[in-house]
Amino acid sequence: MDFNVRTDPPHLGDFRKEVRVWLQENMSGSEHLRWSAGWSTRDNEEEYQFRRDLGRKLGRKGWLFPMFPVEYGGGGFTIDHQLVLDTELDRYGLGLSHVFYTTAHIVAPVILKWGTEEQRREFLPPLTRAEITVWELLTEPQGGSDVATCYTRAIKDGDFYVVTGQKVMVGYRSPDALFTLVCTNPSKPRHENLSWLHIPGNLPGITIQPMYLMMGLKNSVFFDNVRVPAKYLVGGENNGWRVANTHLELEQGGGGQVGTNALIDRVVEYCQQTRVGRKSLIEGTNTRDIIADMIIELHTVSLMERRNFWHRFVRQPHPYGGVQFRYYQRMVRLRNAERLHQIMGCDALVPNPSVHEEVDFEYVVRSGPGRLHGGGTLDTDRVVFARRVGLGRPTKEKAPETI
Amino acid sequence: MQVRERHVAGLFSSKTTCCLALNKVCATRFQLWLEDCLMDLRLTETQNMFKKVAADFVKAEAPSHLLTQWFRTKETFLPNLYSKAAELGWLGMLIPEQYGGGGTSFTDCAVVFEELGRAPVPGPLFSSGVLSALLVLEGGSEEQKKSILPEICSGKSIVIGAITDGGNHWGPEAVETRLTKTSDGFVLDGAKRFVYDAQGANGFICAARMDDGQITLIVVDRRSRGVSVAPQVGFMASVCEVHFDRVQVTNSNVLGEAGAGWQTIDRALEKALPILCAYKVGACQEIFDFTAEYTRTRVVFGQPIGRFQRVQDHCVDLSIHLDAARYLTYETLWMLDSGLPATASVHEAKAVASEAYYQACNFAHMVFAGPGTDYQHPLMAHSVLAHTLYQYLGTPLHHKRKMMDILYPTGDK
Repeated sequence: MDFNVRTDPPHLGDFRKEVRVWLQENMSGSEHLRWSAGWSTRDNEEEYQFRRDLGRKLGRKGWLFPMFPVEYGGGGFTIDHQLVLDTELDRYGLGLSHVFYTTAHIVAPVILKWGTEEQRREFLPPLTRAEITVWELLTEPQGGSDVATCYTRAIKDGDFYVVTGQKVMVGYRSPDALFTLVCTNPSKPRHENLSWLHIPGNLPGITIQPMYLMMGLKNSVFFDNVRVPAKYLVGGENNGWRVANTHLELEQGGGGQVGTNALIDRVVEYCQQTRVGRKSLIEGTNTRDIIADMIIELHTVSLMERRNFWHRFVRQPHPYGGVQFRYYQRMVRLRNAERLHQIMGCDALVPNPSVHEEVDFEYVVRSGPGRLHGGGTLDTDRVVFARRVGLGRPTKEKAPETI
Repeated sequence: MQVRERHVAGLFSSKTTCCLALNKVCATRFQLWLEDCLMDLRLTETQNMFKKVAADFVKAEAPSHLLTQWFRTKETFLPNLYSKAAELGWLGMLIPEQYGGGGTSFTDCAVVFEELGRAPVPGPLFSSGVLSALLVLEGGSEEQKKSILPEICSGKSIVIGAITDGGNHWGPEAVETRLTKTSDGFVLDGAKRFVYDAQGANGFICAARMDDGQITLIVVDRRSRGVSVAPQVGFMASVCEVHFDRVQVTNSNVLGEAGAGWQTIDRALEKALPILCAYKVGACQEIFDFTAEYTRTRVVFGQPIGRFQRVQDHCVDLSIHLDAARYLTYETLWMLDSGLPATASVHEAKAVASEAYYQACNFAHMVFAGPGTDYQHPLMAHSVLAHTLYQYLGTPLHHKRKMMDILYPTGDK
């Protein structure tokens, strides 16, 4: 087993050097920006525009979706190139799946896998080139994590689907495209009546209302007899549940990542610089024991993510790796939130806008309870785990394949 | 050790860009670009072969009905099984070939021990074949390496480390057995408790404190006058007290340099512990597998118990311990094989693997309930062993603190 992500084999040649230099040039001038996390409270216009622009530049080079075919705006590269790009972006606290705020990294693989050739050619390039933002809309007020309970109707009328309903917990700012789960046949049973529509955000009848949540800005989206051309239906009418399993796998941790975790460095720095009496906090046994557990758990989370990344991109998706990782990561966040309270007292509750939000103590504390549910609760994670391992049942559900 | 072993010989490593459309990916071209990759979580062909041989060995030599009996009757040293393991070359795998060892990589050795851990195969395969062999390799004189190592590797000598005197602390402070100079050598006097795998030993490496306070390792033949071994009873396996009652030893019994005992132990442990971790990973994997299977076959309250979410949750938690141990251990093995500094990682992996084995048993007990406490079930062999190995060579807390001492040293360390 080889865990190397830094020393490049010969066939990669100068790719890493090229990426590093390019990023240095394109990230310069951004040092003062207040970097936000993926699911963020910060609303910094300058940072947002900088990152949108960075996304467009990466997209134009085919670097945003490196393994996608070139004809859809990807780079036509290998997993190694993907790894190089992700590890180089990680030096700036970014990753390919989070250059700017959009769920394109989930929606685009779904369209690649389930779309017709015309849909791929029309819908993918604006996503892979980062020209537009796209959000996926599943959650409804009544259904919650039970996404199969879908009251948003899409009724066929000639060459259109007429969409009426409400989705919540959507995105951040107004999206250009709304990848939406709808019910196309209310008379059919659960799981057999769903479809996906890739809805342009500027169609008449769409109202977007902000929701101010513990983890930042999300939206409610109301559809009022919105007429969506039939060509926007992706994956087959009433086949939406099968399509959803692809993207749920990515949301539920099957996507994987290879980044590092800089939170420990900041915690240790705090402990080195903070004295109680004559000793600094880092010398105290209790503090050291707490930090040891943080280090081990975060390291484990990162190895699980790396495992999932590898399995996904070599197309042997790990049967239960995605949901195992996501459940564990959520529990680790909960424990780390309390650990920060224990280590640094009230200092854990005060935000520091000058650091990347992902390593800001107040954000980390809030993330404990705040990030238990995005994309499905921690309990749905465990339910899916049971199906994949075949607990109490003779068959194991297969993990879907995506790149 | 090679940084990266060639995977399948004969395939060229040049890469074309990967095939473009999803459904046109050709399996052979796909296989090609996995060679020479950044990050590759597969085992090599050699390792897959080792794994298969070890799995077959376990099936043939340590079937469940015998294994549970051995652990129940505390009969965990099995000379025949040990000889067969020696014939397969599993003793001294990490020792250079010039001393009779296998000269394998760390990961190669770990793959074998992972399979052995599944049973769990008892006996001093690790404690003599890995740990004591490494103590001699790291601390012994050239002459000692030449005379002792080949016999450990062939299975003729079973040498067990008798390190700490008490059982409640792992560290040099727990060495109280005395080594006192005499006119023609030394006198070794003291007692070691909780000596793992002492039953089958024909020699010991005893840690003793000299008059100047330094620790020295002494190689002692079990037949020496004053040496006695008595099994200890309790919720543990393969554990004995070893007494050294005024045992006469000479200079030639000193392993390498006098006073360098604990440094030798630390150097040997850095290489040995990840192999023990792999053994525990195998054990956790076996426990997870048979627990998942039980959730399918045990039907109560009208359905297979795996349908109940509470039971599912125990399996989720079990899998987290298993995979934390697995990936931390194998990453550490990769670091050792790559020549990267690995001391902190070794401590980390040991803490996590010990905790994982212990907790895996706990979660399995939640699922199995009564039947899991029957000594006829392998879960009991694993439970007794997990409790024993939780303590062996340092508890999780000990190793977490050692990890922190390396990562963030303070003035007083």
